[in-house]
Amino acid sequence: MEGLGLLFSGFVSSLTTVNLVACFIGALVGTLVGVLPGLGPTATMVLMLPFTLPYGPTTGLIMMTGVWYGAMYGGSTTSVLVNIPGEAASVVTCIDGYQMCKKGRAGAALALVAIGSFVAGTIGLLGLQFFAPALGNAALSFGPPEFLCFMILAFVLLSNLSAEAPLKGALMIALGLFLSTIGITPMDSYPRFTFGSEQLMLGIDFLPIAVGLFGISEILNTAIEKYVKPVVRKIRLKELYPNRDEMRRSIGPMLRGSILGFFVGLLPGPCTVISTFVAYAFEKRISKTPERFGHGAVEGVVAPESANNSAVMGSMIPLLTLGIPFAAPSAIMLAGLRMHNVEPGPMLFVTNPDVFWTFIAAMYIGNLMLLILNLPLVGAFARIAMIRPQILLPIISLICLVGVYSVRNSLFDVWVMIAAGVVGYFLRKWKYPIAPFIIGVVLGPTTENSLRQTLLMFKGDVSLVAGRPLSVALLALAAVFLAYKVIAPLMGKKPELKVDEGKSL
Amino acid sequence: MEKAPASRLEPFFVCFLLVLGLAVSVISWGYGFGSLRQPGPGLYPFFVGVAIAVFSLFILVSELRSGTGEPVLDKQGARTLALMALTFCLWIVAMPLLGYVVVTLLATYAFCKIMKLEGWRKPLAVSAGTALFIYALFDYWLYIDLPRGILE
Repeated sequence: MEGLGLLFSGFVSSLTTVNLVACFIGALVGTLVGVLPGLGPTATMVLMLPFTLPYGPTTGLIMMTGVWYGAMYGGSTTSVLVNIPGEAASVVTCIDGYQMCKKGRAGAALALVAIGSFVAGTIGLLGLQFFAPALGNAALSFGPPEFLCFMILAFVLLSNLSAEAPLKGALMIALGLFLSTIGITPMDSYPRFTFGSEQLMLGIDFLPIAVGLFGISEILNTAIEKYVKPVVRKIRLKELYPNRDEMRRSIGPMLRGSILGFFVGLLPGPCTVISTFVAYAFEKRISKTPERFGHGAVEGVVAPESANNSAVMGSMIPLLTLGIPFAAPSAIMLAGLRMHNVEPGPMLFVTNPDVFWTFIAAMYIGNLMLLILNLPLVGAFARIAMIRPQILLPIISLICLVGVYSVRNSLFDVWVMIAAGVVGYFLRKWKYPIAPFIIGVVLGPTTENSLRQTLLMFKGDVSLVAGRPLSVALLALAAVFLAYKVIAPLMGKKPELKVDEGKSL
Repeated sequence: MEKAPASRLEPFFVCFLLVLGLAVSVISWGYGFGSLRQPGPGLYPFFVGVAIAVFSLFILVSELRSGTGEPVLDKQGARTLALMALTFCLWIVAMPLLGYVVVTLLATYAFCKIMKLEGWRKPLAVSAGTALFIYALFDYWLYIDLPRGILE
């Protein structure tokens, strides 16, 4: 009952003009980003960070999640209509979505995707509302050793799930951890890797690095690629009604995709992308007519699109309860909350419960907004996909430049952003995943603090970790996963769950 | 199509990371390693440096064994990349002198032309619209005081 009371007060707080506007702008911009091939949700969230600073942490969190969530809705539009995924989590939707479009069922596919996304979003929110406070309370008993072991497990999983070559993922995490050590140490105020530079004393700011790696590198990539004008089929409102058979066949995949997506969202790595592959494969496996998959099966469209929406909510759990982001967008959210002096983690539910409950309430409203936006405006969004990058990219480039400069009035930050952008372009081309790097940067200080506190706590005797069951379990999980990765290829099995990060950024 | 030797850059990049990892470890040692009982400021970055060096070494060996990969840029792509990067740099150099509105107008026009937006009317309209939008966004909505340069 206490939860319901808190949720009600969350609704009261979220129904302010500024929060509703933030929710609407986030949802709208997210949908546009999902529709437009090129800039992904992470890059957009980074670009929007400076604009959330004049408002409170809750407003910022609502806007950021709205973008991520909206991108999941919008990404399906171009997948179904032009066979081009607006972002990586909609790649799977192309398989059957475009086939439905060719059969004249594009409107029905998009309507079912919108309804599925709404249902999945609601289920994901219920899961978040139910699990997060309970896990947050449990995490209050975590000490530095548990946090350290949790981060070791996260890094092991992240390096393996984010890259084609796990070593490249591991290298990127290590580089991110190194970057976070530049500047004065918080524990003993010792300057490291500053070489006498006053600007480096404060450390390298997160924002220019993230805008460079996710925004500028994507701009460079799209500017260099050859542009092929898409041909978009027109959708009339009456075509949006699915028939009885399509409705009946969608209910199961919608619910299964939502539940699967939520739990996949708890995994480190590009969870929204992974969730779509898992949901599609699961539906195909349990289907009585698997031969229809790939030829316009409605189950193959609804299940992955439901899964990616609930995965967004699932991935909020480790962020909000432990303060550990498992995916690039949640790392951006963590950085955004820190800019507002709010530290997510177990204490969030004690010190700032209003932030959590207002966020939950606002996301219920945002979910409804997205459904209303996406059903009647699907034709308009499809036409937006026709805007040429030659017009969009210059505008985005200038928003990046002025946006990064405006945060600290620092030209040094703009230089850092451009350097990160050019390096990021080549990293993408050489298939080095960027998400583990940015998660390394964000988690670096917490990892170091946990390590040093653990060593101080155990007086240097690391064997004492054996006396902490949760730490042992987490380390054992990491070891088992690594052992499986080494042994499985020798046994002739292929354990890879390779995900091309590509536009998932 | 003439290919730029961009793919050959990757081993050099990994070599650079290998040296970086070693340098981080050596410098960290100088900060004071401390002991496991009383860790110093150099302990954590020392291990991070070692990790960078070890991972880079494995990747370098694997890259060298697998031979050269596909080139990532053709000549046209390399030219576009260089011009884009140059425009970004010129924005930084010129912004304090000319002010953010004028530099935004010029940079947007340059980006439009680099990306081959035809004619002069469309690029001019896009750059004027962008400058106006940026001015309205930062000056009127966010109240952020940015250098106005010659418009002061």
